[in-house]
Amino acid sequence: MANINQSMAQVKSEKSAKAVTPRRPIKWGQVAIYIVLGGGAILALLPFIWMINWSFMVSDADITVGKFVPTRLMPDNIRAAQANPEAYITQEGRDFNVLRDYIFGNYTTVWEQAEFGKFMWNSARLTAITVSGLLLFCIPAAYAFARMDFYGRNVLFAIMLTTLMIPHIVTLIPNFLTVIWISRLSDTLIGLPWMANWPGLTVPFMASAFSIFLLRQFFSQIPVDLWDAARIDGANHIQFLIRVVIPLSRAPIMTVVTFAFIGSWNSLLWPLLITPASETWMPIAAALTNFVQTEAGDEFHWQMAGSVIMVLPILVLYFVTQKQFTEGIYSGSVKS
Amino acid sequence: MATITQKSKLGWFESKRGRRVLENLTAYMFLAPASLIIFTFGIFPVAFAFFISLHRWRRFPDEFRGLDSYVEAIGNLAFVLFFWIALIAAVFGLYTLWKMYKQTGEDNNQKALALIIPSIAVASALFAFASWFFRLLFFIFLIPRRLQGQEKSTSIFVQELISSFQAENVVAAASIMGLLVILAVVILIITGRFLKIPQRLHYFVIALRGFVALGISFFLMRLTLSEIQIAIDEARAAAESAPIWSQIIFISLGAALIFFAMWLWNRTVHDHADNQPVMKLFVVVAAIIGAVLLIMYVPPSLADAEDDVLKGFKVVTLYALFSVPITLALGLSLAVLLYQKIQAKSFFRVVYFMPYITPFVATSVVFSLLFSHRTGSPANQFINIFGLEPQRWLLEPKGIVQLVLGDGVPSFLSGPGLALFVIIMYSIWTYAGYSTVIFLAGLGNIPTDVYEAARIDGANAWQQFRHMTLPLLSPTTFFLLLISTIGTFQAFTQIFLMRRAGAYDAVDTINIYIYQEITTGRPDYAFGSAMAFVLFSVILILTFIQNRMVGRKVFYG
Repeated sequence: MANINQSMAQVKSEKSAKAVTPRRPIKWGQVAIYIVLGGGAILALLPFIWMINWSFMVSDADITVGKFVPTRLMPDNIRAAQANPEAYITQEGRDFNVLRDYIFGNYTTVWEQAEFGKFMWNSARLTAITVSGLLLFCIPAAYAFARMDFYGRNVLFAIMLTTLMIPHIVTLIPNFLTVIWISRLSDTLIGLPWMANWPGLTVPFMASAFSIFLLRQFFSQIPVDLWDAARIDGANHIQFLIRVVIPLSRAPIMTVVTFAFIGSWNSLLWPLLITPASETWMPIAAALTNFVQTEAGDEFHWQMAGSVIMVLPILVLYFVTQKQFTEGIYSGSVKS
Repeated sequence: MATITQKSKLGWFESKRGRRVLENLTAYMFLAPASLIIFTFGIFPVAFAFFISLHRWRRFPDEFRGLDSYVEAIGNLAFVLFFWIALIAAVFGLYTLWKMYKQTGEDNNQKALALIIPSIAVASALFAFASWFFRLLFFIFLIPRRLQGQEKSTSIFVQELISSFQAENVVAAASIMGLLVILAVVILIITGRFLKIPQRLHYFVIALRGFVALGISFFLMRLTLSEIQIAIDEARAAAESAPIWSQIIFISLGAALIFFAMWLWNRTVHDHADNQPVMKLFVVVAAIIGAVLLIMYVPPSLADAEDDVLKGFKVVTLYALFSVPITLALGLSLAVLLYQKIQAKSFFRVVYFMPYITPFVATSVVFSLLFSHRTGSPANQFINIFGLEPQRWLLEPKGIVQLVLGDGVPSFLSGPGLALFVIIMYSIWTYAGYSTVIFLAGLGNIPTDVYEAARIDGANAWQQFRHMTLPLLSPTTFFLLLISTIGTFQAFTQIFLMRRAGAYDAVDTINIYIYQEITTGRPDYAFGSAMAFVLFSVILILTFIQNRMVGRKVFYG
């Protein structure tokens, strides 16, 4: 123990000795690299900065004349608003609250009056249904492809992979017609229409060749000895899958979940087709599009607040699960 | 007592054969839901889209129209396209069968050739099934129309469903299918019993693939030829000339000459042959003749094409030509810089990747404000620093070259409209970070000892990059090239949100037209599907060309 402490102290003293040595001359090459990379980072972030700025503007006029500083955050303006609260109350019969009604006034308006709260809830519900369906269907399929011996395995897997090469636009019209038809059938038989309802928006995305491929790659790396041991203990495939494979594969499953989450949250074309006029299940992407194109054509400050609301969950998820992200991106690009 | 019966029931599953059956059953159970969804919404729609495009199909299916929707979209070029697809399918089928024949010879397994009989039987059963299925589908999709005005009731629906199965030509197809399926099963059982050779399934699948391709080719060729005949007859009746055949022959010849030139070029450069100058002369002559033929015959064949479709393709071509190379170059340079020994690597990576994962809807809205036509918009304020006039950005359909050099520039040189240019910038902004991350992964796969060896040999940084990094990175570059080209051809969200009245023509791609075609009050699903298929074939041709031209140069280490 003492020995370790001693060596630790030695390391420490070496480190401090290093720090004392005179500074090395600046490497201009390094500086240039940082400048270029930093410039790229600023360019990547600028639209986000503007989005947030604009979402704190008092009115769209501030945006059209090209103000950069968010007017709702200026102390003078806040004081002026507090002096004259009636003008800023976003909902009648409610007391004035600086944060809610002035500083975050655009957000409050969009959330309450343009019903973004409802659309966010729709998106959350739809995403949850899609992701759980995806896990429920893709994990067993990937397991079967990776670990089970059955007739026609390679042929089936090859057919499944061809779907990765088919552009979405080709399948758009037939899928739309199919869902309209299934909607009719399901409505008459069990009273659950698919159009403008959750099944039409989620069921087609509950299985994807990409997820199955990704999970299969990981499942087939799990040592065979584990399965042999489990079988000797009397486990069958279902038990082995639930007790051993799934707990071992948290990382790839998280990757699949993240990708499905983003895909479901960001998709626009399909929801526009499936929920043309009905708002009961319209997700936030379609709602924001409608909001921008019809209701709030010139209310830019509200558009920006709506955009920030839509972006936030994705960015939070991204910062939390960054590692899974990069891994998923890599495994998608690795040549097979 | 109960436990004993259970045990005896399980007993069979404990045997070797029983365990195998159980394993198969479990696997199919695991696969069933995912396969059902992927088949219904991923594979079957391709055939269904083709079926739709061959009919008049507004809200409900209607009469058979052959290739009319395609001719409406791209004029006589549709005949050329289908002629070639049929030809390629035929060549693929014959080549597959010939390869099987050769392989059986090599493996000394000539008995495997007998598998041709069951594969023909199974292929014809498959085609009979497809014929029955699509006839049935036609009637099934008519049910909602027949139910119009009636009240919602399960029994009427089921009744209609049953009557679809009993429609006259459905029944006829069903009886043919039944016959062929029984025949195929009998033949399969006989072969299974008496033909015991190694790799039976392998050869069977190859032969089946060949005959399915031949069948598809036969169907397409018959369709194309009869449609061409109809078109020529119609033109004769109207006392017009119908140069369809000359167009097919000369366009095919032109394309073939260009491909021949490409092939010869690759060979000449790779072989370091002695007769290089002569060969290169050949290449140039072939390429020029091919190009002249295409220039002479393609535009007239497009004379009857829908203007919107041509415009859509022009826009998407400009979009891809400008955005893909810049995105890749930017991604590569950022990745190379990030790969140096620097601090805060992961910070930069996270930031660069942000635009790609942020919902396109939100960022498109931001971009349309950044590039708004008002003088106060950030883009106008920015160019004002350089003393430039404020621009109308997303409202400006004029080409950028035209804006810079004045109106004297001919229209085909005018470049992408300023509105499209903004969308191109948006696409670079979103995808540059994505390609940076992918390039970083590619760089990480390059072994470091190669660089050490190069340094010892005295290679400088540029030489290392040019002669080692670039070639070793070529698989990644190739992957990104494919993905981003296909991505631009499929772009929808950003264009849908950034298109503004006045500049529609400058930014609308095929995808936008397809969307409009199916969301109007009188949707035309057949025409939309035809456009989607034309787009699909263009993507396939592009992939093929990139494979030939760039794929050859890819160095897999």
